[in-house]
Formats: sequence, structure tokens, C-alpha cells
Amino acid sequence: MAIKKHISLMWMLGLLVIFIWTPAVSGQSTDFKENIYPVEKLKPTDSVLKVKVGDLAPDFTLPAVRGGEMTLSHYRGKKNVVISFVPAAWTPVCSDQWPGYNIAQEFFVQNNTILLGITVDNIPTLYAWTNQMCMGGGELWFPVLSDFYPHGAVAEKYGVLRSDGVSERALFVIDKKGIIRYIDVHDINERPRLEVLVGELQKLEK
Amino acid sequence: MNELYRAIEGRKDLKGKMKLIGIGTGNSDFEVGFFRKKYEVPFPLFSDEDYSIHKAIGEVRTPYFIGVRLKGDGSAEVFYSKLGGFENANKFLDSMVKLSGL
Repeated sequence: MAIKKHISLMWMLGLLVIFIWTPAVSGQSTDFKENIYPVEKLKPTDSVLKVKVGDLAPDFTLPAVRGGEMTLSHYRGKKNVVISFVPAAWTPVCSDQWPGYNIAQEFFVQNNTILLGITVDNIPTLYAWTNQMCMGGGELWFPVLSDFYPHGAVAEKYGVLRSDGVSERALFVIDKKGIIRYIDVHDINERPRLEVLVGELQKLEK
Repeated sequence: MNELYRAIEGRKDLKGKMKLIGIGTGNSDFEVGFFRKKYEVPFPLFSDEDYSIHKAIGEVRTPYFIGVRLKGDGSAEVFYSKLGGFENANKFLDSMVKLSGL
């Protein structure tokens, strides 16, 4: 006779993202239904950086999904800035990364930091994608900017525009003086770990 | 999920017989720990940073539930494996108990 000892249920989280991601929201999440475009493994990086740690971050102005425009130098003397370039809307890893930052807002707030999310997609595409990210309720707390036209101009200025026209998966941490303090041109196939970014934020003057 | 945990813990007939764990696919220990603290998750959560568990299961989308019956001989039998969440924790728990044959 079978002895019924335990029953374990395994709940598979998104995240969280971390994300987490709400963590239930991710590229693997049913929140995205069948809308995530499958992507094969890509060349990890495919560009040459044009900036380095210690440089003044190149200024830019880009249209925001919520309307209006955002200018990087607007934050100078006020807030630290993280720029998160992700390659493309509606792709697997990108659809995990920003929902993770969305639930991790307190790490940015604690370190007087604003996050600017940038892709080379156009505004309507980003509008639909970011809305889908928030199907569980709420909205992204950080601005999402479109580097669509002239195509990838800001990504190109930083040296993170790949040869196929999408950007790298890259993070730039910029202090209140506008100086680049950290650069991570990440393997495009993988999501940067939250703890590494948090560690860099904690090094900044608040 | 916290509601499901409380539903399990609140039922005397399930005491010591049913446990709930969570697995964060593609998440680091730090990310899972942050999530646990932020959402006050009362049951154990584990990170699956390299997706090894996720791959072993079949790279399912989430949320995904697996019910496993652990037998006295050390073997385990899956009695439930399904994609998607639930509307009502108590109803979900009732269906799991029924399916498990507990």
C-alpha cells in the first residue's frame, strides 16, 4: 500500500521579477499569452562602445511612451540615472528584465536614481508591450523611451547599436554630475542580475 | 499564493501532509529573497538561476503548478501538472486534495 506522506506543489515564479520582476510577469508568463517572439541564441555582443567609465554621458532627448520627451541632462544635479537599453519589445529576455525593475523600484528610490528604459522600437509598439507587462495591474514606474527615429541614434552614440539594428542589452549608471560610473554591455541572451546593479547604485552619492 | 499557503495551513486534515514550495525560474538567490521579503511570502522559495529545474520540467510557461505524491518507497508521482493560476485558493486546494487521493 502506498504510504501517502507528503504532497509538494511547485509553483513556478516570473520576475520579479523580478523581478522581479510582478514576478509572475515575465517573458515566460501567461500574461504575455502567445505574443513573445521566439529568438534563437544570438552573438553575445555586436558593437563597440563609444563611451567609458569616467566620461560625461552623451546627452539625448527621446520621446516617451507616456507622452512628451525626456532629456538626460534634465536630471543633472538632481538624480542619478540608470539607462537600460534592451534589444527589442516582445522578445523573451527583455520581457523579463523590465518587469523585474518594476518591482524593484525601492532600490532605485533609496539611491535617488531614476531608470530610463530605451529600445529602438517605435512608440505604438512600446505602448502595447509595456501595457502587456502590466496586465496584473499598475504601470511601469519608470519612463520608457523610443530610440526609433533617427533609428537607434542614441544607442549608436553610446556604441551599443548592433549590426542588425537593435541595441545591446546594456546598462549605464550615471551619477548626478552626469558622469558614467558603471557600464554593463551584457550578453544579449541573458538578463543582468539585479544584485549587481543594486551594488552599483549603492556606490553612488545619494 | 500566500492565500493558498494559508488555506493549506488552516486545514487540520492536511497538517503535515501537504507542503507548498515555490521555484523562481531564472532568478538569483538575491532576487528570490527580495521577492519573498517584498511580498511577505510565508512558504519556502527556491531560486533556479540556471533554469536547470525549468529545463528538466519542460520549459513550461508560468505560473505553472505541479502536484507530486511522494510515496513511502522514496519515489514520487506527479498527479497534477498544469499551466495557469487560480481564482479561488480554497477551490484550488479542494481540487488538488481530490486529485491527489489524500
